[in-house]
Amino acid sequence: MSKQLKKIEAELRKNISNSIECREWRNSIVLEGKVESWDTVTAAGKKAANRGYKGVVNKLTVKGLEIPQINSPSFTDTTLQGKKVDVLVIGGGIIGCSIARELSKWDISVLLVEKEEDLAMHASSRNDGMIHPGIEPKPGSKKAYFNIKGNEMYTKIAQELDVPMRRSGSLVVYDSYWVKFIYPYLKIRGNKNGIKDFRLLSRAEAKAREQWISDSVSGGILFNTTAVLSPYKLTIAYAENAMMNGAEISLNTIVLGMKKHKNDITSVLTNRGEIFPRIVINAAGVYSDKIAEMAEDNFFTIHPRKGQVLLLDKKKGSMLTSVIGKLSITNVKGTTKGGGIVRTIEDNILVGPDSYEQPYREDYSTSRENIENLMKKHFEILPILKPSDVITYFAGIRAATYEEDFIIEASEYVPNLIHAAGIQSPGLASAPAIAEEIERLTCKVLSQYKQINKKQSWNPIRKGIPELHKMTPEERNKYIKQRPDYGVIVCRCEEISKGEIIDAIKSPIPCVTIDGIKRRVRAGLGRCQGGFCLPNVVKLIQNEAGIKAIEITKKGNASNLLTGETKTDSIAKEVKK
Amino acid sequence: MSEIKTYDVIVLGAGPAGLAAGYAAKQAGADVLIVEREDRAGGILKQCIHDGFGIIRFKQKLTGPEYAERYIKMVNELSIPMLMSTFVLGIQKNNELFELQLVNKKNGVFALRARALVLANGCRERTSKQVFIHGSRPAGIYTAGTAQYFVNIMGMLPCKECVILGSGDIGLIMARRLTLEGSKVLGVYEAKSTPSGLARNIVQCLEDYNIPLYLSHTITRIIGSGRVEAVEISKVDESMKPISGTEQVVKCDGVILSVGLVPENEIAESLDIKLDPNTKGPLVDQNFMTTMEGVFSCGNALHVNDLVDYVSESGELAGLQASRYARNSHNRNLIEIKSNNRDFLYVVPQYIDTSSDNKSAVIYYRSRDVKQNVKVIIRCGYNIVYQNKHSVIRPPEMEKAELDLSNISINQDCKLEIIMTEG
Repeated sequence: MSKQLKKIEAELRKNISNSIECREWRNSIVLEGKVESWDTVTAAGKKAANRGYKGVVNKLTVKGLEIPQINSPSFTDTTLQGKKVDVLVIGGGIIGCSIARELSKWDISVLLVEKEEDLAMHASSRNDGMIHPGIEPKPGSKKAYFNIKGNEMYTKIAQELDVPMRRSGSLVVYDSYWVKFIYPYLKIRGNKNGIKDFRLLSRAEAKAREQWISDSVSGGILFNTTAVLSPYKLTIAYAENAMMNGAEISLNTIVLGMKKHKNDITSVLTNRGEIFPRIVINAAGVYSDKIAEMAEDNFFTIHPRKGQVLLLDKKKGSMLTSVIGKLSITNVKGTTKGGGIVRTIEDNILVGPDSYEQPYREDYSTSRENIENLMKKHFEILPILKPSDVITYFAGIRAATYEEDFIIEASEYVPNLIHAAGIQSPGLASAPAIAEEIERLTCKVLSQYKQINKKQSWNPIRKGIPELHKMTPEERNKYIKQRPDYGVIVCRCEEISKGEIIDAIKSPIPCVTIDGIKRRVRAGLGRCQGGFCLPNVVKLIQNEAGIKAIEITKKGNASNLLTGETKTDSIAKEVKK
Repeated sequence: MSEIKTYDVIVLGAGPAGLAAGYAAKQAGADVLIVEREDRAGGILKQCIHDGFGIIRFKQKLTGPEYAERYIKMVNELSIPMLMSTFVLGIQKNNELFELQLVNKKNGVFALRARALVLANGCRERTSKQVFIHGSRPAGIYTAGTAQYFVNIMGMLPCKECVILGSGDIGLIMARRLTLEGSKVLGVYEAKSTPSGLARNIVQCLEDYNIPLYLSHTITRIIGSGRVEAVEISKVDESMKPISGTEQVVKCDGVILSVGLVPENEIAESLDIKLDPNTKGPLVDQNFMTTMEGVFSCGNALHVNDLVDYVSESGELAGLQASRYARNSHNRNLIEIKSNNRDFLYVVPQYIDTSSDNKSAVIYYRSRDVKQNVKVIIRCGYNIVYQNKHSVIRPPEMEKAELDLSNISINQDCKLEIIMTEG
């Protein structure tokens, strides 16, 4: 046992739990043992991180704590049996989809597998949609590098992929004079990270920009490069563009294991058959450590950090022009995120997310305490917000590593594995830059196997579903003339037409779940939460996709909306016979 | 572009309020148009296939669709045009005229003008998030109205075994309906200490079917990943806060919510019409004119009614008055009606227009709590102009007072005031 390892172990035993054992594996530190609580697990992991090892592999378990199995598709088939591809991307979130799109530039075969019924089902649809300016990450970190670069790339990407984006800027406010003394520190950090456009605002300037902020605000820092967009629309757009350019996407496909020869992955086992890829890209979000483990390259552990988010009625959207955060000592230094108040691209107000450690990777339940705290904490900054403005709330889970930085690298031990793992905030902001880096790494590895060339026919332009409510009457009329269904409003709260919903159902990656349609065109996302339009959306899926009402699900996998026919209806059918 | 057509009165909504408003406005001689966002007239009545509608209005027990048919027939007999599947995108007031921007399949985006508007947009149901239910978000959680649509219009069951949260009337009706159609209703849970729905529905929908009603209970957590698998129920204290330690888990595959209705007033808000925080509908005078000249409100958009008969009644008054306004407007003199939140959930109208020809006013009120042996008095200064003894008064039941204003001199120094006293 090395000196350093001994030191860490002694420290952990003394300060955290004396049942912790440490060992070295390759160049990482492994923690083992049984402890009393999940907090102990994460505390130990954090303590062992960034102490000279590549990563912390935290195998500590908690007595009596059962962690549920990964949510899996309920079926198996042989659709992918024996399939050979150049690149297999695991994970259909923003990272996997943006990688697939960048790789589709090349004359190689790309397959993306996602275990859910739709793309962007986890962190990519459960965040605040913010493209951060890049002040939070530590200078020199991967987070800082990719955040700044990604932020800059967004203007072009959003345009190419036809995803609405608004560079509204963000204002970090403070209510006490001492923050002024922190500004020079922030300025150094901002400059180091390479943020181009930020400055200190006086109280009057802050108030002029955001007239509804609390009188207790004594000033703020304005970041002009901050932007907002819909993270799930972006993910879907990336995936559609990848598909247009020849990439394949297989949903409801879960990776169950891997076969290796020497150090190389030779095949990947899924519920839909055995796939034979030349290169595997790990973009599996909260399960990226499990994928790494299948490849025997688990040098890190994900500790799922949860956050809850509130969404408020659009009516209050105009009370804010951009994003507001509040500065406190903790978020100047630490990695924890307090969340903020965001005017989303669709003009709702989003509040949160908060941030706390918990053991479950897919538990998106919300709790009274967290939601009440979010209201208490943030409504103070914008006192015009009221609990009655809340239309919904939800939770997301960050795929945090103990090092709290992104893992973007070709594996040191498995030559045909590339990791895009541990991606948490600012993951969305960083995605375009991460995708380009993974593209570069992939091409480098792949060119050892074969000669690769850029496709002549690659088309970076993707058209989204038209958003009629944002159009001028003249523009709107052109669309309605062509497709009268664009003139029939189905979702009254968000003003979404029948035509747009049909477009979603028939989109390049067909969508037949209620939540999927919500994500694509917002039907059901408004203040009535689908109370009126849900049955009509069910009927549209039935008619357009030919799926029986009884088989239609909210989000795939046994989330059927309906359980059977009414007695009256079944009797009526009998009589007809 | 063809010329923009101008109507005397445009009614928004072809539910029971809008149909009645259109009918009354036309009868009074106005040139009327009814605009409806759905493809059929009748509003929510289309899916209310139980009976009990029309006892006051038609002296008969009708089903919802039958009641709607009566009004649709009346509207058709007067050849009142109805624009179906047509959605209002925005309204602006220019020089005494309202300019509406609408959209539909046939015309695309188009404009219409009106001298007066009747807002008969109805109401929507509060959702699980608006009452702050927590836990996971599986399939199987529906508002009672949505469940009713699945069952009565589509012939589909939303669950096999469910609990109902809230004892509002639609929830009670759905408890019976689901039971008849083959679902098991395990219980109705109400956070308040008294039922929200009408007494007759408690008897006919729950007691007759042995469905238990648990007062002072609520759902504190939903459990399930795909479908609902169970709910956690807790007792609540007087301020409706869950009492910890009283949690019990009830297995079920569905949750039906009947936790209140909210008037839909997004259009009114876009016109900067002032809303009453108690009703969530516009502030109106005895003619149901809102704080904006020429805009009238009626039915459940004004305040949530317990009977459709009252909805039609309010529609007819709003329609008639809109028609009068369209041809001959006068300067209003609004004097507020004083009431208090302690005794009343709300009082409608909130104003009297003393310069209106209409000297008969109907004051609707709901008690905040269940009370026995109370007297409701309306006075103008020391002058008692109305009184009514209630041996029992309940929040779910709307009460009304008819006043003759012709002999009452109401002014800023002598306002109408409604009070509740013992006796």
